[in-house]
Amino acid sequence: MRDYIIRRVLGMIPLILIVMIVSFGIFSLVPNPFAALIENPRIKKADIQRLIKAWGFDLPWYLRFFKWFSGVIRGDWGPSLLYPGSTARDVIARRLPVTMRVMGLELLVSLVIALPIGIISAVKQYSMTDYVVTVFSFLGMSMPSFWLGLMMMMLFSVVLKRPSGVPLLPAGGIITPGLEQAPFWVKLGDRAQYLVMPVFVLSFLSIGYYARYMRSSMLEVVRQDYIRTARAKGVPERSVINKHALRNAMIPIVTLIALSVPGIVGGAAITETIFNIPGMGSLIIQAEIKADYPTAMIGLMLSSVLVIVFNLVADIVYAWVDPRIKYS
Amino acid sequence: MTEKAIEAKKKGQKKSSEDYTYIGMVFHRLTRHKLAMAGVFMLIFIVLFVFVGPLIWRLDPNAQIEGLEGLFNPASRAHPMGTDDYGRDVLARMFFGGRISLFIGFASAISSTLLGAIVGLVAGYYGGWADNILMRFTDAMLSIPTFPLLIALASVFGKGVWQIILVIVVFGWMVDARLVRGLVLSLKEQEYVEAARAIGASANRIMWRHLFPNTLAVLIVSTTIGIGGNIIYEASISFLGFGVQAPFASWGNMLQNAQQFIWNSPRLIIYPGLAIFMTVLGFNFFGDGLRDAIDPKLKL
Amino acid sequence: MDNREVLVDIKNLRTFFYTEDGVVPAVDGIDLTIHRGEVVGLVGESGCGKSVTALSIIRLIPNPPGKIIGGEIFFHGEDLLKKNEEDMRVIRGDKISMIFQEPMTSLNPVYTIGDQISEAITLHQKIDAAEAKKRTIEMIRLVGIPEPERRFSQYPHEMSGGMRQRVMIAMALSSNPDLLISDEATTALDVTIQAQILDLMRGLQKKLGMAILIITHNLAVVAEMAETIAIAYAGKIVENASAKEIFKSPRHPYTYGLLQSIPKFTEKKTNEPLPAIEGMVPSPYHMPKGCRFNPRCPFATEKCREEEPEILELTPGHLVRCFHPIES
Repeated sequence: MRDYIIRRVLGMIPLILIVMIVSFGIFSLVPNPFAALIENPRIKKADIQRLIKAWGFDLPWYLRFFKWFSGVIRGDWGPSLLYPGSTARDVIARRLPVTMRVMGLELLVSLVIALPIGIISAVKQYSMTDYVVTVFSFLGMSMPSFWLGLMMMMLFSVVLKRPSGVPLLPAGGIITPGLEQAPFWVKLGDRAQYLVMPVFVLSFLSIGYYARYMRSSMLEVVRQDYIRTARAKGVPERSVINKHALRNAMIPIVTLIALSVPGIVGGAAITETIFNIPGMGSLIIQAEIKADYPTAMIGLMLSSVLVIVFNLVADIVYAWVDPRIKYS
Repeated sequence: MTEKAIEAKKKGQKKSSEDYTYIGMVFHRLTRHKLAMAGVFMLIFIVLFVFVGPLIWRLDPNAQIEGLEGLFNPASRAHPMGTDDYGRDVLARMFFGGRISLFIGFASAISSTLLGAIVGLVAGYYGGWADNILMRFTDAMLSIPTFPLLIALASVFGKGVWQIILVIVVFGWMVDARLVRGLVLSLKEQEYVEAARAIGASANRIMWRHLFPNTLAVLIVSTTIGIGGNIIYEASISFLGFGVQAPFASWGNMLQNAQQFIWNSPRLIIYPGLAIFMTVLGFNFFGDGLRDAIDPKLKL
Repeated sequence: MDNREVLVDIKNLRTFFYTEDGVVPAVDGIDLTIHRGEVVGLVGESGCGKSVTALSIIRLIPNPPGKIIGGEIFFHGEDLLKKNEEDMRVIRGDKISMIFQEPMTSLNPVYTIGDQISEAITLHQKIDAAEAKKRTIEMIRLVGIPEPERRFSQYPHEMSGGMRQRVMIAMALSSNPDLLISDEATTALDVTIQAQILDLMRGLQKKLGMAILIITHNLAVVAEMAETIAIAYAGKIVENASAKEIFKSPRHPYTYGLLQSIPKFTEKKTNEPLPAIEGMVPSPYHMPKGCRFNPRCPFATEKCREEEPEILELTPGHLVRCFHPIES
């Protein structure tokens, strides 16, 4: 097992390299990265020149790549062009917890709802419950998230209002201005109302997927011979499902969850954008749109590296959970 | 029909599963699948809407009504879906937007499947370092999160219909590549491949004549479901301002446009979004039913 | 005549499967009697309904699409078909146990074999875990697996097919059942392992005294093991007699054909091809009219094509379902 991990870690290196090259490469295709800054009258020409020199934009691309690469490894992630004055690293550090809160909550909510209904759906296959769950899963998977988000906003912020005239749920943002220093509980309650819609929109999609996967995994397991053996032994049906079947059906699901973890950091770009959530996803998109290439490159690269790392974590978890797997 | 089937028909008995051809079997199972048929109906409706609609409703989607009174009109006889912020007829824009969205979805799904299939075939068949390199590259591309990559590519390739198709294809071939490679790896070991090689068939011939047709079933399902996904990608990209540009309509950019008017003209959001939703739903239902029909082991 | 107590008395069992393509009369009027401690063989080709009969006894027919639509199965005088699920669960694994054909897939891969055998014990006997473990190790030793203490914590995938089948037997016999049903338990094993398992079963039968219902398509297996043999064809029993009688003087043309098709060492060598029964087993969706064997029977007459024969006792203890049984 140890050898396997070492081999896999070594194998990750070329992947990470490729990802870095691709991230870098995409953005070097853009002709003039500093166009936005140059047009900004508040930024002095001299500062721009300094930036250009500091981040190596005066060098040919291969040298620039090495300069960027060595910078990244050292923790120097470049300037933030969106927020002149801050480094990309600062900006990311600010935005990361926001995304993690939203996505973490979404993952939790999705699993808590999706897994049980997936199981029930499988156990009662072809029943009305199963049918409803299946249709609902499809709705979730087919729904454009931004449309759902906009519709929810329409309903809860435009149509439905509180007695005071204020929208029932805030249409965007993560905290009511002025409450940043409020005591913990007040902040919690305040944050909650901002999270309701985005988490709902994001979970709606995920629940569809997870429920469907859980269902098909359970169906696959319940057909197996060893389930028949358990029944022939006299195991009560409830234990057949919860003890014998579930333990097996969860194996692929656990791997799936491990693979979803990077999403907690990468965020959901469009949903964050619609709901004005200052998180990682919207950061990357904004960076790309507003031509903040250093930030965009780092953002892209970070998310990808996490995916690669968690791919390995998923495999390790898989081996831990399934006694048949032995990586020699 | 087989002899037995003919006899059975004469005796008035129902045909049983032994009496159908492979495609007949698939079709038979498909037509029984309720959700798949629902999907088919939805798709037929949408396709008719989008292609036949403009023939009946002959308004120019880009024609703007003059004057402020022309803007944001609610549903009326002249404009069943009202007008948008430029005074354009929404219904007409829905037709044409649909054509573009469907076209993009379809073209990108087929292209990425083909590209992915080629990569998968080569990687799976040749194995060795070709496989290694191709798969590393595939894995790396797969690690990059969808959305940011799409936008990055869009910002680089520029805006427009063909650019979007290109972007989605560059993003989307990996899934099919892995799928096909896996399939080829298992098919490769079967005897008919060995036999083909023994009579001197070239690698090309083996790949295309023998292996590829066996991957078709999986690829068709993947393409179908891919169309749905790609339509959402197109809508998302257009939603963020890349992709299909004004004055042309796509369901995606209609939504983007409508975003700012959420307070006063919600119609503009409901229609295009609903259309996207129904189309994707239709493709998903159909694709899922197709998958069940082709792989009977999964259907009890 | 057998003067042992009647353990199982199956009367006119009918189990049908309602599929999309039609109704399959898998078991269409089977009668079978098993006495205490008797070893009964149920022989027939694939699809003749023997496994379905077994599953019907312990009521594990998957529903949908299967359903026991008629008949009675008396066990210790009570009709099992009238019992509710809870009562059946108590009987399964305790009074009637079953082992299946595929040892490779019949054990749950995520639990140790020790756990799985202990489960069978604690389900039906009121003893604590430590005592159950002791008994489990006893059982593992009893079925001929060396180093039982070590094997207790092993997973199924760490064992060969033959060993897994021994584990299945241990599980099945752990509560000392009255009846063991062996559904093609040796079919998937190598010939040498097959012989070992059969020896094991024979030894255990002598030691524990349970009745065994051996279901197989292999006449050699029943020749070794069974006292009484029932031959099944297309959902019905066509001949039922003591093993000696069946082999010495088969009365039904099908039985005769089966015996003829076995290559024997003692016969004089001829250049003629091995006799085989013409035709194929009828499709369950298109059962022939009249006697179900008539299309393949060399002795079939018009009557056979029109009417279905009833089962008759030709000589004491020898039942045959045929209008023209072969002379003994």
